[in-house]
Amino acid sequence: MYRNNLKYDHVKSEQEDGGVSKTLKREINLAKNIQSTLLNGNTPEIDGGEVVGSSLPARLIGGDYYDFYPLVNGKVRIVIGDVMGKGIPAAMLMILTRGAFRTAAESTRSPGATLTSMNHALYKDLRKLRSFVTLFCADWDPDTGILTYANAGHNAPLYINDKNKEVVTLNDVSGVMVGGLPNQTYNEGSIELGNNDIVFFYTDGIVEAQNSSGEQYQMDRLMETLDTHREKNVNAIQDEVIKSIHHFTNGEPQRDDITMVLLKVNSEHSDITSYNMPVIDS
Amino acid sequence: MSLIVEREQKDLTSILKLRGVLDFSTTNLINPYLEEIKEIDELIIDFSELEFIDSTGIGSILDAIHMSQEKNFKIELTGVNDLAHEVFEMVGVYTILNAVQGGEQ
Repeated sequence: MYRNNLKYDHVKSEQEDGGVSKTLKREINLAKNIQSTLLNGNTPEIDGGEVVGSSLPARLIGGDYYDFYPLVNGKVRIVIGDVMGKGIPAAMLMILTRGAFRTAAESTRSPGATLTSMNHALYKDLRKLRSFVTLFCADWDPDTGILTYANAGHNAPLYINDKNKEVVTLNDVSGVMVGGLPNQTYNEGSIELGNNDIVFFYTDGIVEAQNSSGEQYQMDRLMETLDTHREKNVNAIQDEVIKSIHHFTNGEPQRDDITMVLLKVNSEHSDITSYNMPVIDS
Repeated sequence: MSLIVEREQKDLTSILKLRGVLDFSTTNLINPYLEEIKEIDELIIDFSELEFIDSTGIGSILDAIHMSQEKNFKIELTGVNDLAHEVFEMVGVYTILNAVQGGEQ
């Protein structure tokens, strides 16, 4: 009798587990769709320049984040970030980060102020959750060609200078990760971009991609790939980077989320066609 | 890839020596050592045999730094190789450590 009860409970438990498993899978897929829809939103169309972004999560869903936010003055605000950890927990915090960015982008006048505002909004929650987010935020002004940027603990982007035919790391303006310390202010740097110059924003999943020998893709390979394909458009360059990483890893499972944003200047004067309501006038 | 944590106690100083990889898959192995820390003056985390650290691993180091403030002990990071040093500097680990130990937070 006792055994029967146990057996019955076991069978019931298996059925329940199956049901829970199916429900869980369905909900994870729905979460993946939500994240994918929010992450791969509209990319602003730019006359005389182009931007593109993409993210490949290591698992079903990931913690990397990028976004574009057109501003009223014709500038576009770009952000890329990496939430600590992987999978569903990181994805939940990524959505929180997106909300904080969208709110901050509306009410702040510069990338440094955006990061300060985001840290202020997220610090307490992130500390409670023992997590953090690294973020790089930049405003591109197509009229002047000037990119202004600030960094909260993220990898500094690569700058592909067409005139000098070189790929270098953008001069860093280091700042503490979002969620690291309260009341942070973030210094800003700037650079004037020339025709055909490219800025490559990325997360560490690219340079830390591993092959079967445990060797990492590393910065040199990334720089070489960008240098080789510098004359292509942003979509083609993005494809070449992904192809190069896949060639290097040669079927090894992806360990970390891979995210990149490319900005390429294609003429001396550019105009942004905004897809969103203009909000600030700095 | 795995992580081996060796703990040594010298009077009121605890030394945690990390060997291997401190990442998403191994960070749970260091947490019990951090949780059982009681009444010490100093925690030394030795990275000299650490091969790789990711953001989750950095999260554990930040936990230790914040714990040092709550439990009132000093913390020292030793044997940090160039790559880990670069990452710590980039994300702000040293800035946070200085702020916490300097009582700025």
